[in-house]
This record gives sequence, structure tokens and C-alpha cells, in this order.
Amino acid sequence: MSAEDILVKTKLGEYLVKKGLLYTKSDEWIKVQDDTITLGITDYAQKKLKYVVNVELPEPGASVNAGEPIVTLESVKSVADAYSPCSGEVLEVNEELYDTPDLINKDPYGAGWLVKIKPAEPIDESKFLSPEAYAEKIRAKEG
Amino acid sequence: MLKTARETPLLETLRKHDANVGEFAGWITAMDYGNPLEEHMATRNSVTVFDVSHMGRYLIRGDNLFEFFQKLVSKDLSKFKEGRMSGPVLLLNENAHIIDDVMLYYLSDAEWLAVVNAPNIEKDRVWILKWAKEWGYNITIEDITLSTALIAIQGPRAPEVIEKLGVKEAESLSILEFLRRPSVLGEEAILVSRSGWTGEEVRSHGYEIMTTVEHGKRVFEAAVKAGAKPAGLIARDSLRLEMGYPLIGVDIGNDVNPIEARYWMALSLKKRGFLGEEALRRIYREGVSKFRVAFKLKKGVRRIPRHGNNVLIDGKVVGYVTSGAYSPVLGRSIGMGYIEATHSYIGFKVTIDIRGKTYEAKILDFPLI
Repeated sequence: MSAEDILVKTKLGEYLVKKGLLYTKSDEWIKVQDDTITLGITDYAQKKLKYVVNVELPEPGASVNAGEPIVTLESVKSVADAYSPCSGEVLEVNEELYDTPDLINKDPYGAGWLVKIKPAEPIDESKFLSPEAYAEKIRAKEG
Repeated sequence: MLKTARETPLLETLRKHDANVGEFAGWITAMDYGNPLEEHMATRNSVTVFDVSHMGRYLIRGDNLFEFFQKLVSKDLSKFKEGRMSGPVLLLNENAHIIDDVMLYYLSDAEWLAVVNAPNIEKDRVWILKWAKEWGYNITIEDITLSTALIAIQGPRAPEVIEKLGVKEAESLSILEFLRRPSVLGEEAILVSRSGWTGEEVRSHGYEIMTTVEHGKRVFEAAVKAGAKPAGLIARDSLRLEMGYPLIGVDIGNDVNPIEARYWMALSLKKRGFLGEEALRRIYREGVSKFRVAFKLKKGVRRIPRHGNNVLIDGKVVGYVTSGAYSPVLGRSIGMGYIEATHSYIGFKVTIDIRGKTYEAKILDFPLI
């Protein structure tokens, strides 16, 4: 955690929100770098989902549509989808997750990333939440 | 839901051990401590400590407790005596619908203790008092849930931990026997029992310690220091599923009767003169349309069957799933649910529809390990 990051403390737990990323209302983070978008789920999302035992990732080269399920995450407690933040093409998937899906729990913003996507059009950053806005969303939800 | 969740009184202690906290049945407590599969395996192979203070606890006092409970519950209590736990017994209504499964502790002729499921703490109290009044028994209930803690130490190495807590005499307890007012860490506890709900209480060793909240915090810390790995409710769930122990409100709802649930350990079908007996005997005689069974998926299928998933044969729905988990002992997903009586092919294959995809599974009896 860097000094810039936000640690949201609620009655139920502590959730890290990293600076330098954008967030979705469905609890994913994205990192925009040149022509590539890296997608993952947030610390809040992994803590709600609990220990992940299986991940189903798309094939590299597959085309994806904004807002559609792109990754299925199965935890000891429940199953959830991660949604594509944009339309485009899957460049790369995190194959480490096939053997060690709990990287998502251990390092959701780093080694637990899910997929890299080449967006069909430049990303409209105003459609995403800033770290501050996302932190506020967690606080509003959990008090 | 506007109702505010209650916190286990040990929450701060659990957080010190990096508990991932969540809500279960209106209680905020530890779901896991980072890796519930490791917590599960440690319970089977070594020793773990669980805070189960979310379970309801009452002291029940009165003059004719034995007679009253013999009329109220599904299981024959005639061999029940001081210093023993009853095992799970059912509270049934006149139609043999299940109100709850509860554990009774015979403290003395005039004082018993009941441990009840977290969602039913208030409902059971009202139910017991209603029938006491109806039948003319003078009975009082003191709810001690919030003023006490319940800690479970489970696994083959549990005796080592219990010895380090200074309760060496607990090692000679038989299953479902308890010590009244034992000294734990040099301080008097309410009781220490040979019990649990993980399976280890019968497979190897499992103890539960009931005591005051402040003492309970020290007991939890001391158990960890003595080598017990903290474990949460997710591991407790997968452990009880391997054993086939049902969870009220999840595996046994309002739409299931005790015969369909095959909850034999909580029933005495020869017993006479208890609430719901006539209806229960009628169901037993006339037969049921479904049975509770276990499911085992193939190795390598890393999808977990969930509550509500359909069970099929050749595309025809013949049952449903009520609970599922990943069993790290078996290295595969397991489940519990119901199969139509006409299709209860124990040992044979079915498929389970998990989010639109079907997976092969085998119908089995309990326990799975």
C-alpha cells in the first residue's frame, strides 16, 4: 500500500482502494495503459466473494462487449461474474489463476489481475469511478 | 432488512487474527482467516479453534424438566442424565413440521441448558414457554447468549490444546459428555464438553468451552498459542457437509419433514407421547416423496453445486441441491439435497445444473468421508 491509497474502514472490514486505477459500480478495477486495459476485481469484491477456488477466463483473441460477463469467479461461498468494461478484443488472460485462483484474494490489484483487453474505441474515463468515488460507494453501502 | 446484525462478543479478538468478517444469520462473525480450505484440512489433520458464540444459549429452570422435554422433543430422553448432552433433538409442531434442532445439556434435575440455532433464538424461546404454559409446567428461560462465549476446539490434536488450557480431565470425557464448572486457564468456566459439529467430535477429538465473554477471549487466544489454527464459518460449513449434518433453514426448511430429511439421529421412532408424534408416525407409515442425500462431483470439476440447483436424469428434474462446498479432503465438490423417492438411486449417476451447464454427479449416502 502506498501513502496515496485509501483504506476504507467499515463495521465489517477494511478495504483497500488503490490510487491510479479506475473503478466500476460492479466492483472491478481497470488500469488504462496506452492501448491496453487491465481488468481485475477490487479488494472489497474479493473480501465479499471469499476464497476463490476456480476462475473461468475467456480465450485470448475473443471479442467482448461492454457490460457483458467476461470472467466467472467461483468461491467457497458463491459464484460471481466480472464484466467487461468496454468492447474490444481479449489480448491476454492471467493463466496463473488456473492453478492458483487465490491470487485474487492475496493480491487483487497485482498478481490477481484477470484479463487484458484491447478496446475497440478509446475509453471514456468519465464513465468510471475515481478511487475517491469508489471508496465513498463502499462507505455508503456498509456504513 | 432493517434489523441490525449483532456482533459475536469475540469479534475484536477474531480480528486480531486477521478474520475475514461477514454476516451469518444476523450475526457478524469470522467467515475465514484467509484460507478456509487450509482451515478445513487443519481440523481434519491437526487442530483448529472456532468461535461459535452466535449459537443461542439458554438456561432453562423448572421442577419437572425431564417430563416436560420428554413431551416436547422428538428424541427419547429416558437415558438422558446429569452431565450429558442430548445430541440434536427436534422441536416439532403438531404437524411434525420442524421448528428447530436444538442441543440439550442436563446440568441438574432443576436446570438444563439449550444451545439453539442462531436464526431461531427468539422463536425457540417463545415456543418452549408457550408449551410449558399450555401443559402447566412452571419453567423459566434465561437467555445467556450475549453474556457468554462458545468456543470449539476440533481435531485430532485437540487433546494437546485442551491440556495446555489446564483442563486435562476433559480428555476422559466420552462423546456428548461435559464437565460442569471446570477450571480453564485457572478460572471457572460454565462447562467443557466433548462435542462439536465438524465430525471430529466423533472421528477424533472435539471439545467446546462455554464461559463468560472476557474469559472466552483469553481462552481463544490461549488456544491459538497452544497451536490451534483459527477457523471460520466457511470451514465449519464444508466440514459439516462432508459429515452430512443438515443446517436448519438451508437443508431443512419448512417444506421438508423429518423423515424426508432422514434426520435419524434426532428422532426416536419408537417413542410415544410427544408433540408431533401422531403426524410423524403417519408420515413414517404412509411414506414420503423425497429423501435427503449427498452428491459428489467428479475430480477436476471446480464448480460447486449451490442451493437451488436442479438435479437431473436424462434432462428430467428429479431433485434439487440445498448446500454445496468444495471438499479439500476429497479434492472435489460435494453437495447435499433432495431426490424424489422414486429416483433415490444411491450410488448411481445424475447431473446437476450449475448456472446452465450440467455436471455429472453421484448420489451417495452420508457421511462422504
